[in-house]
Amino acid sequence: MSDPTTTSTVDLTLTVNGERRTAAVDGRALLLDALRDGFGVTGPKSGCRTGDCGACTVRVEGLIAKSCLRLAVAEQGAQVQTLEGLATDGALTPLQSAFWENNAFQCGYCLSGMLFAAEDLLERVPSPTEGQIREAISGNLCRCTGYDAIVDAIASCAGGERPNDRPGGAPA
Amino acid sequence: MTSTLPRRSVGQRVKRHDGDAHLTGQAVYTGDVTVPGTTHAALVRSPHAHATIESIDTTAALAHPGVLAVVTGAEIAAVTDEIPHGLDAGHLGGHHAVVRPLAVGKVVHVGEPVAAVVALTPADAAAAALLVEVGYDLLPVVLDPDAALAEDAPLLYPEWGDNVIIAREVGPDDFDEVATSAAHVLDGELRGHRGNAAPMETRTYLADWDSRRRHLTVWATTQNPHVMRTVLASTLRLPEGSIRVIALKIGGSFGLKMYGNREDFIAPVLSRLVGRPVKWVEERSAALLPAARDQRLAYRVAFDDDGRLRALDVHAVSDHGAGAATHGWGMAHVGALATGLGYALDHCHVRYTVVATNKAPWVGTKPFGKESATLLLERIMDRIAVTTGLDPAEVRRRNFLAPDAFPHTHTSGLELDSGDYAAALDLTLELLDHPAARAMQSAARAEGRCVGIGLGFELMPESADIPGALVAAFDTSTVRMSPSGQVTVLTGVTSPGTGNDTAIAQLVADELGVAMSEITVVQGDTDLCPYGFGNISSRSIITGGNAAVLAARDLVATLHTTARAMLSAGPEEAIVLGDGMAQVAGDPERALPVPAVAGAVHTLSYLLGLDIEPRLESTRTYRPANVRQVPDELGRMNTYTTYPYAVHASLLEVDPETGSVTLLRHVVTHDCGTVVNPMFVDGQVTGGVAMGIGAALGEELVFDADGVPASTGFKTYLLPRAIDLPRVELGHLCTPAPGTPLGAKGVGEAGFSGALAAVVNAVNDAIAPLGAALEATPVSPPRVLAALLEAGQ
Repeated sequence: MSDPTTTSTVDLTLTVNGERRTAAVDGRALLLDALRDGFGVTGPKSGCRTGDCGACTVRVEGLIAKSCLRLAVAEQGAQVQTLEGLATDGALTPLQSAFWENNAFQCGYCLSGMLFAAEDLLERVPSPTEGQIREAISGNLCRCTGYDAIVDAIASCAGGERPNDRPGGAPA
Repeated sequence: MTSTLPRRSVGQRVKRHDGDAHLTGQAVYTGDVTVPGTTHAALVRSPHAHATIESIDTTAALAHPGVLAVVTGAEIAAVTDEIPHGLDAGHLGGHHAVVRPLAVGKVVHVGEPVAAVVALTPADAAAAALLVEVGYDLLPVVLDPDAALAEDAPLLYPEWGDNVIIAREVGPDDFDEVATSAAHVLDGELRGHRGNAAPMETRTYLADWDSRRRHLTVWATTQNPHVMRTVLASTLRLPEGSIRVIALKIGGSFGLKMYGNREDFIAPVLSRLVGRPVKWVEERSAALLPAARDQRLAYRVAFDDDGRLRALDVHAVSDHGAGAATHGWGMAHVGALATGLGYALDHCHVRYTVVATNKAPWVGTKPFGKESATLLLERIMDRIAVTTGLDPAEVRRRNFLAPDAFPHTHTSGLELDSGDYAAALDLTLELLDHPAARAMQSAARAEGRCVGIGLGFELMPESADIPGALVAAFDTSTVRMSPSGQVTVLTGVTSPGTGNDTAIAQLVADELGVAMSEITVVQGDTDLCPYGFGNISSRSIITGGNAAVLAARDLVATLHTTARAMLSAGPEEAIVLGDGMAQVAGDPERALPVPAVAGAVHTLSYLLGLDIEPRLESTRTYRPANVRQVPDELGRMNTYTTYPYAVHASLLEVDPETGSVTLLRHVVTHDCGTVVNPMFVDGQVTGGVAMGIGAALGEELVFDADGVPASTGFKTYLLPRAIDLPRVELGHLCTPAPGTPLGAKGVGEAGFSGALAAVVNAVNDAIAPLGAALEATPVSPPRVLAALLEAGQ
């Protein structure tokens, strides 16, 4: 016997970090809440629920998305990758390692947004300028670092020479 | 005898010990915790800024599916006591505000919680909260502190007779006597604005009342789990020992998660009432209610032709908002204590009036009122420069305390321990290439562009100890070594994301000569850790770190004695610990792994004939010496122990068409004494600069004429993003804190104040050729345009 609620659950099937799973989620749930509460995947964080901070970022069908702006049931059958799915077999990605080496996070709440935005940028622009890096992560908020360490971490993963297009950029 | 090996990790850029857990989504925050049977709370909040509560009808809400309980403020008040104050203005000549978890009888700001719903799902709780019908009788609203001080102002708390939370004075009131002999007297007013800490994680709680054990477990986003437990016990009428508070990973705080906020009590009270675990997650719009820094500073300053300060007289009027049980109002006091600090100023008098208005209250927010003092003095320095024709850097250089002036007692009673402010200024100007920056500015001005350079000197009193309050300059750490040589550090300080746990592990690793990987640091759990004050006043390394060092040295003594017996070392031979080994100094052949020694302490103490307590565990408290709480002849105390400082320079351009400000460069030289981990210090300073620039340029809580907040999310409260900020260029000085084992000074509030001041000064420098000035923050486009219009531009 279950307690009465207004919740009418929907069986949502997703491939979460490579594993095909089904969970009963509230039909009204955002993808963020479905992942956290239905699938127990808590890497994506709730910071604003208005798409402004990016702490809930995931990949849906390969494209980065703010999961607080998606209705879970609209993603039926989708491939979803979260922060937990970036490292494979315990090996950190180069970006994760660079974030660690550069102290590119303090509280860590923004990491889903920053890592996915960085990965997305480097896929599109292998050798971004500092300005391009700052632009790419500007959909995400970090309150701790002041962003410089994040920019440095991403830059250290870029291939080739990187022109300095910012005043006050890091001296060579 | 302590280890004679050189320090291995202190001063090194050691990575976060838990970095991989964070980076792979394995770090557990409060919101990630689940307990079987958890229910969810939602709050009914007042839409009115000032009203009496005439009725609350919960019928429809209770009938909503999934609802377990609907509780009003009066019902909670019947089973709880009022929230103890962190710093009671009523004990210091002001008024005592009675604060309860939910409003009782009347509301005094929009968003004040009046009732709570507990339901099986968050959606049902939120839906039912909308069905609670509250009858309000509206009262006149007062939003402006000057209006609130008027004779006929509406009163938030009629029993007070006025709207003054507290009014006090700091320093001798002798401006008029001194000013008569000064060459110049200027007066002015500086208007600050309402800001918010805005950590990425809002306040989140999961409370689990076990009625059989009569025990409450609370997972909470708190900086101060032990103190939260103390005040929870008082309010909930429970013995302190029947409450366990656990602070897990915290998604930033910056003061918002200090103890004493009514939000801390909601889930615990509700869990006790419904007998089920209750989770409550603060909405972002609610997290943007608490405030800080909304002050108006009217001042008079006297100085001589050579630019030297003679006297300063300030009246600060603080728009506190509603009464609160937190330390929030203390920001006005600390701002007064810090006014003029670091400058040679023998006559400094600050009067402050903290005013209640129909807004959500102040809550202690980084950097705790010190930023207002910084902004005031730095605006004054630039005004002196304009009056005297001196360079702004030269005015500061002439007024700085000299490096040999320490210890120095400021007029407020604070006792500065050390520093070399002029050296920091020189390094900042060198990093900026000041002559080149001025040449660039001249060239830009010749093209009609508005480029400005601004300086900002910040001096942050840190590591506070407030007599009678649960805010202490000391803290306690336990270090324990197991038979297999594994080290556990349990400490009363907490890390809301700063990484002090890693830095404490560095300190302990160096003392014990073991690898960082052998050390586990436990924080935030009242059942495991020694009583401590958590994360306050930039003191975690000074207190928790030094305490861990002292405790580790006790273990070193035991390990030395034991290793000496095991290695048959003579009395003239020294034992050293390092690289995981205990060895006879100078004889690497006679060495044992530290775990073998630890095992022997636990298993062979009789056989080895050890004439000591066979104990590899020690709990020590570190209390800095530089505190004086017996008032001197002028009634002054020194309530802060360390005084880190920084000098900032900002180079920016103002677009006179749009009023927008573009930062071109920001340079800062910082001195926090001995640095345990340069990477973490850089991170604190850079993050603080970003927050200060955000405050300068645009972060502002605004309200409509009825007191309804318009800043309800990150589209209306504009935090700086990566594209808004220049790279922060860092320089470092090191003046170790004298008389301390480590020499470290606080760094947690660094960067903010000087950045705020430098940006405001640079904007004024940029628009000065147009005849405009801006003595208000934020220096946002509308304000810049208004200043230009006023100047006829």
